[in-house]
Amino acid sequence: MTTPLLEMRNIRAGYGIIDVLHGVDLVLEPGSVLALLGPNGAGKSTTLAVASGQIQPSGGQLLIAGREVNGAKPDALARAGVCLVPEGRGVFPNLTVAENIRMMTFSGTSYGEVADKAYELFPRLGERRRQLAGTLSGGEQQMLAMARAMATDPALLMLDELSMGLAPIIVEELYSQVAKLAEGGLSILIVEQFAQTVLGVADRAAIMLHGRITRTGPPSEIAEELTAAYLGIDSGGH
Amino acid sequence: MKRFQIRTSLLVALGAALASLTILVWRYGADTEVSSEKIVVATVVGLTIGALYSLSATGLVVVYTTTGTFNFAHGGIGVFSAFVYWEIVENRTGPELPQWLGLLLVVLVVAPALGVAIDVILMRRLRDAPLVVQLMVTVGLMVFLLTLTGQIWQADKIRGVSFFWEGQGFSIGEQKVAWHRFANLVIAAIIAVFLRILLFRTRMGVAMRAVVDNRDLTALNGARPGALSAFAWALGSSLAALAGILVAPEVEFNPTNLNSLMLIVAISAAAFGQIRSLPLTVVGGLLIGLLESYNREWIDLGADFPFAGRAVAPIVLFLVVLALPQARLSVGRVSNNLRPIERTTHVWEGAVGAVFIIFMGWAIARGALHFLVWDPGEWSSVSLNKGISAMVLALIALSLVPLTGWAGQVNFAPLAFAGFGAFLFLRLGLWFGVPDTGGTGNLVWLPVIGLLCAPLGALLAVFAARLSGLYLALLSLAFALITSNVLFPHPQVFPRVHTFPSPYLDVGLFRIDFDSRFSFFMLLMTMFALGMFCLVVLRRSRYGRRWVAMQDSQAAAATVGVNVIWTKIVVYATSSAMAGMAGVLWATSKSTVDFRDFDLLNGLTIVLLMAAAGMSFPVAGLFLSFQFVFEGLAERLEQTGNVGFLVWLLKDFLAKFGPGMLAIGMVVNQRGAIFEMGKGFAPLLPWRDDARAELAAERATKREAEIGGLGLTEPFTSEAVVGLDSALGIVDDVTPGAGYRHGVARPMESTHD
Ligand SMILES: Nc1ncnc2c1ncn2[C@@H]1O[C@H](COP(=O)(O)OP(=O)(O)O)[C@@H](O)[C@H]1O
Ligand SMILES: [Mg+2]
Repeated sequence: MTTPLLEMRNIRAGYGIIDVLHGVDLVLEPGSVLALLGPNGAGKSTTLAVASGQIQPSGGQLLIAGREVNGAKPDALARAGVCLVPEGRGVFPNLTVAENIRMMTFSGTSYGEVADKAYELFPRLGERRRQLAGTLSGGEQQMLAMARAMATDPALLMLDELSMGLAPIIVEELYSQVAKLAEGGLSILIVEQFAQTVLGVADRAAIMLHGRITRTGPPSEIAEELTAAYLGIDSGGH
Repeated sequence: MKRFQIRTSLLVALGAALASLTILVWRYGADTEVSSEKIVVATVVGLTIGALYSLSATGLVVVYTTTGTFNFAHGGIGVFSAFVYWEIVENRTGPELPQWLGLLLVVLVVAPALGVAIDVILMRRLRDAPLVVQLMVTVGLMVFLLTLTGQIWQADKIRGVSFFWEGQGFSIGEQKVAWHRFANLVIAAIIAVFLRILLFRTRMGVAMRAVVDNRDLTALNGARPGALSAFAWALGSSLAALAGILVAPEVEFNPTNLNSLMLIVAISAAAFGQIRSLPLTVVGGLLIGLLESYNREWIDLGADFPFAGRAVAPIVLFLVVLALPQARLSVGRVSNNLRPIERTTHVWEGAVGAVFIIFMGWAIARGALHFLVWDPGEWSSVSLNKGISAMVLALIALSLVPLTGWAGQVNFAPLAFAGFGAFLFLRLGLWFGVPDTGGTGNLVWLPVIGLLCAPLGALLAVFAARLSGLYLALLSLAFALITSNVLFPHPQVFPRVHTFPSPYLDVGLFRIDFDSRFSFFMLLMTMFALGMFCLVVLRRSRYGRRWVAMQDSQAAAATVGVNVIWTKIVVYATSSAMAGMAGVLWATSKSTVDFRDFDLLNGLTIVLLMAAAGMSFPVAGLFLSFQFVFEGLAERLEQTGNVGFLVWLLKDFLAKFGPGMLAIGMVVNQRGAIFEMGKGFAPLLPWRDDARAELAAERATKREAEIGGLGLTEPFTSEAVVGLDSALGIVDDVTPGAGYRHGVARPMESTHD
């Protein structure tokens, strides 16, 4: 069996004295797409914060490509190829589009390369490169945030609620880009509340409830259980 | 998007400024002729000094745009660095260094190290702190650095810093220009261009600006936010040092003077650039330099306004803050409000507290408390004087409670109101001379003066109506500086030579004469207790609730029907009236009243101590006695011949550095001392079941977290217990697996069943 690209073993984490994750176990195989689903407040974003080094786990092990990285700083992980597109708009509102793109060069790709790739994928950004990112539309901001994932060639991509607050057409467009990345062999962990679009691109899916992964399986099976999960019925059990 | 929008209000403000300037020139124009030669000289001088102002201001702007912290200690850093420069270059401590080497050493080594230390020790922990805490910490740092400089380089001799290329220059036509002046312009221009390129053309600069926008995202991009902030602080400090060293030869070389040039002018210039635009900030600095120079040359307000020249920058600041487009003002953190969730004090508790305070005051003054008083029976007059000064400041501090503590309106100008009250009292005494009070007046006038001061507060409220946060603080700063430099020094306000011999002995109220220090002290104690009680009642009133709602969110308060403007006017008027009445008592308590008593630094000390104690608690006013207690103790020790370390510690260290250090301490204790003390004390009161419940809940969560840290939240297994036993060093004869029913295990086990 191959070494998982991302593995969490019994991860516990929280904010101050509030515990949010109560022992999360999660495995992302290289080159695969895992969808992490669950209702609001389940702890999905917190899981990603742990995986990206923003929150230090209070217990358990975080492994990336087989190496334990507990305690690594988020910027060190980012330079090592871990790319998290956070919830909400992952852009700097008071920087221009071009400056936002410049910020994407810390993980080693040159400015020219990132800019060319980003403007090629999303021509609308090219037209607005002198505009402040905060004045872009929601969809354009999400494209700009995604540009980092697309143009910097990360080893691990994590997307947090990409579709939040966006029109279905734009969600389609963004997910078609994600599908392309997946075809290219990138390992992706996608977090969403609403499953339809994600389950199309995912190889596996997991349900998270109250800070625990309660069920993992192929997307088709998980889809059926989701309704129960949202109604608060604890499926699977622990 | 446009960086700068010309607004009608800005035009109006500029128009008003021009109009008043015309009147000034027409009415007070000096006899100096206006020749082209003089214009050239004044312009050159103005621009070269202005260049230094720009330099200092850009440092302020760089730190603000890259860390989000408005650094009131900017001037302090520059002052400290300039004195270090003086020490190594002029005073020749250590090996003899040429000027340029000393300059490089301070600007590139000492100042950046100071900046990084400030970031690492203080600012890093303030990242998510409310704005008020940030402001207080940097103001505290400023006071601390100024005190430190003043203590190291005592004012016992005259110091001076010489110009670079002293006496050398070149000529443009008839006009001789000194090299150092020319250099100022060149250096300021180079630095401005350098900063512009750094911040907008390099990846590092872009990342520095990104940190303010979204710190977490900056890290997710792979940049190091900590290193970027540290660099920003180092850079800002370097610029402060450079400006400080270059300004030093131009002015009287003492900490306060240098600071006001470095900081106040820098703030005004930075405000001109909306604290973000570097080019406009540079223009602002040059403009202020020119205005000051022209003012010196052609406007003569006469001997009655000796310090009006210092008000040029504050006036610019006042106008600019008023004219700034509102949309820009919300930069920084507005939403992060950490107002403690307080239980509002009951009226009867307030009454009991008031009586208790009066009683304690009586006990202390009468020498009933032996550990505080050395001459039981008769408190020495020195100690009573200290007590009086402390209580007067406490009364002034009380005025900050509704305004800043509850309504969240930062006010650096409590002494402007207090001074206004004192002025009115003295004048009323003179004008309506109450015969048997020796011209000082009768305290019956007190409420009248309160009423007369209220409109002044209301006026400031009207100006402050659409401002909040940092800009409100800056407005009050400008207000304090304008009153203390223009209004108060006028001899018709506070006579130079005081005409009121030992006034407080003459103060009366109806038939009661407060003709002894003791009764005057008790009067102040009673007024404080009364003021505290009134505030308790006020806090429970409609207005109290509105003020607190306004602090939480002005927008939210407006949506539930609070008239924000009117509420603001009421709270400013209340505060102003309170401060005005306290100012009367202050004036009365002193045998001489001097306009210097009401200067900015004294006011800031009150604000800082109050903030460190906890602005929202009236009882915090008693913290103002802090300095006097230490001084009193020190004097007492000196009397008993016990000079040395302890005296130094009390008088020269604690009393002087205390206010700054306490404010800096807010880095860790953001809610103030009273809050923490109250948390420990309240559960002792028999009727405070709520406090006991809260304490118990807090302890429980803490215990749970500790246990969680040991990995004990899982159901017990025998291995876990053995592991725990060995970790804790518990030797137990029970073998694993055979049932572990002793020691630590049992209670935990039962809770998990
Ligand atoms: N910064 C924070 N401080 C305290 N609690 C938080 C913070 N962020 C999230 N939480 C809490 O953690 C829990 C999980 O949040 P999150 O991971 O954002 O859930 P999800 O992304 O699944 O909606 C929620 O109960 C939320 O209230
Ligand atoms: Mg989330």
